[in-house]
Amino acid sequence: MSRDEKCKASRDGQRGATVDDSLLPEEVRKQIEQIGRVDLLVGIPSFNNAHTIAHVVRAIKAGLVKYFPGQEAILVNSDGGSKDGTPEVVRDTAIADYRTLLTAHPLLTVHKIVTPYHGIPGKGSALRTVFEIASRLDAKACAVVDSDLRSITPEWVDLLLGPILKEGYDFVAPLYHRHKYDGTITNSIVYPLTRTLYGQRVRQPIGGDFGFSGRLAKHYLTQDVWETDVARFGIDIWMTTNAITGGFKVCQSFLGAKIHDAKDPSVDLSAMLTQVISSVFGLMENNFDYWMKITGSIPVPVFGFQYTVGLEPVRVSVERMIESFRSGRRDLSTIWEQVISKEGFAEIQGLENGHGGAFHFPADLWVRTVFDFAAAYHKKVINSEHLLKSLTPLYLARTASFVLETADAGADEVEEILEHLCQEYERLKPYLIDRWAS
Amino acid sequence: MQDTFTETLVFTLRKFYEGAVEFVPNILAALVIIGMGLVVAGLLKFIVRKILVLAKFDRFCADYGATLVLTRADIRTAPSTLAGRVVFWFVFVLFLMSGTSALGLEGSNRLIAASILYLPRVFAALLILLIGFLVGNFLSRAALLASVNAHLPSPRIVSAVVRFMIAILAFAMALDQLQIASNVVTAAFTIAFGAVMLGLAIAFGLGGQDVARRVLERRFLNPKEEEEPDEISHL
Repeated sequence: MSRDEKCKASRDGQRGATVDDSLLPEEVRKQIEQIGRVDLLVGIPSFNNAHTIAHVVRAIKAGLVKYFPGQEAILVNSDGGSKDGTPEVVRDTAIADYRTLLTAHPLLTVHKIVTPYHGIPGKGSALRTVFEIASRLDAKACAVVDSDLRSITPEWVDLLLGPILKEGYDFVAPLYHRHKYDGTITNSIVYPLTRTLYGQRVRQPIGGDFGFSGRLAKHYLTQDVWETDVARFGIDIWMTTNAITGGFKVCQSFLGAKIHDAKDPSVDLSAMLTQVISSVFGLMENNFDYWMKITGSIPVPVFGFQYTVGLEPVRVSVERMIESFRSGRRDLSTIWEQVISKEGFAEIQGLENGHGGAFHFPADLWVRTVFDFAAAYHKKVINSEHLLKSLTPLYLARTASFVLETADAGADEVEEILEHLCQEYERLKPYLIDRWAS
Repeated sequence: MQDTFTETLVFTLRKFYEGAVEFVPNILAALVIIGMGLVVAGLLKFIVRKILVLAKFDRFCADYGATLVLTRADIRTAPSTLAGRVVFWFVFVLFLMSGTSALGLEGSNRLIAASILYLPRVFAALLILLIGFLVGNFLSRAALLASVNAHLPSPRIVSAVVRFMIAILAFAMALDQLQIASNVVTAAFTIAFGAVMLGLAIAFGLGGQDVARRVLERRFLNPKEEEEPDEISHL
């Protein structure tokens, strides 16, 4: 099926989208009937975010009245059963004085729906409720933002909704200013792999804050994924991938820095990596016919004013990462040799110091390793969770190598190194297809 | 006297003839049952093998390490073929017993009934061992991965302990199922399990006393010395 046919099919599917009354409480359905329709919708999925969500709500309301004063807008909070009063905070939060934002008082008020979501606990189920409300209210442009954001400003609303409303795009991915060592899973696996597979350079495919058209929201609702892991985790990469494979118009908006609450320290790296990579590999499974035909990649338009700032040093223990890798090499070799090609396995066994004595994990070896894991996941060589957990020491080795390689590099230089890695991914795509089919 | 001898001989021969005539149908019936057993067992072997191949049982066994263990035991047959053979012999032995019972030999029926009643226990014990083996492999690999990713000092030992404990448990359960010295097995299991736990406690207590002291000192005396986590945000 060509990209155009696929796009048409997905749009035909929207017309057949059924209304699921069990998703929304009766009270919310009545509220929707009273409102009728809106132009804009901003959703906030939440779970126990009482201490941060008020700032997010204020930023969104300010953004809506400042940048879209003549549009009917609604703010939807889809909550996972918070015990700390998050829904009450959303209900009670208001902007007391609009004079700091506007020269005149806003003409229209921003509607608000606060509802618990139904289904499997997770961000995916929360967003499904947002899509459902957007669909019923026939919203033209929608956005979702995380509830623990500390750096969100009213401009984010314009940057996420504007390209849809004014430029006709269907999906807006975020582009953040991040430290060179932040988002290493995104930088070393998710971004280059997504770009190589689907052919579009979406820099932050799992950013968490997105804009999307009402048409795309309806398309998402027609997908039969709401009883799978997409409902629990992996909704971000699923939204990005589906927007691309569905043939929708994709762009990016530069939002500045993303600062949010520190993640729960009990969530260990291995579990996090397993969740993220299983989502990406799961999507590869479903979209094989699409990605196997793609060669190269195209840039995705960027909105917003981009800037760079200085890089503060961060605490990183490279030695600890390398030690984790050595431990993995010592104890997990029986698993790795079932997964990684014979040549790759031999190279990893001999991996130590590169030129100049520093630990070095070459880009091409890393790419082949990721592709070997993707093929092993597809062929179910071993239990998928065990497979992905065995990737952690290799990921840490690659991260250590990257940290050493970019120790003195500025932001632009780091981007160049990442671009080189992406090109390696694209160059070695035939290797992936070969391993996948063998 | 000659008449008496002839009469006795004729009587004996007649009795033998009558017995033989009476017994031949039993033999024939037994042969037919055994022959049917061969056919039915062969058919079931074929069906079971086909189903297992379609269900990718060989891949499943490879995933859980069962194939590796068979190879180590010098059994090179594919697990699906092996399972087919087990089914063949199980069905054939049932038919063989049934055929033997058709002979009507004294005492054989009781023996066969007892054997047939014992067979489910044998299979339950084999099933317990198989499940124990698969669970042991799965959990020991999970323990190995968790230990490596948690930077524990001896991941292989942790993994081996998990595998060993599950093997002991499965073996004790299998013997209990076979009703072989149940009391002895229970006592032996309790002693062995207790010994492992005590051994571990002593090993950790003696071997890890320095580590424990350092942890306690760091926790209560010099809390600032604790290793600080990386500031990298991976996502």
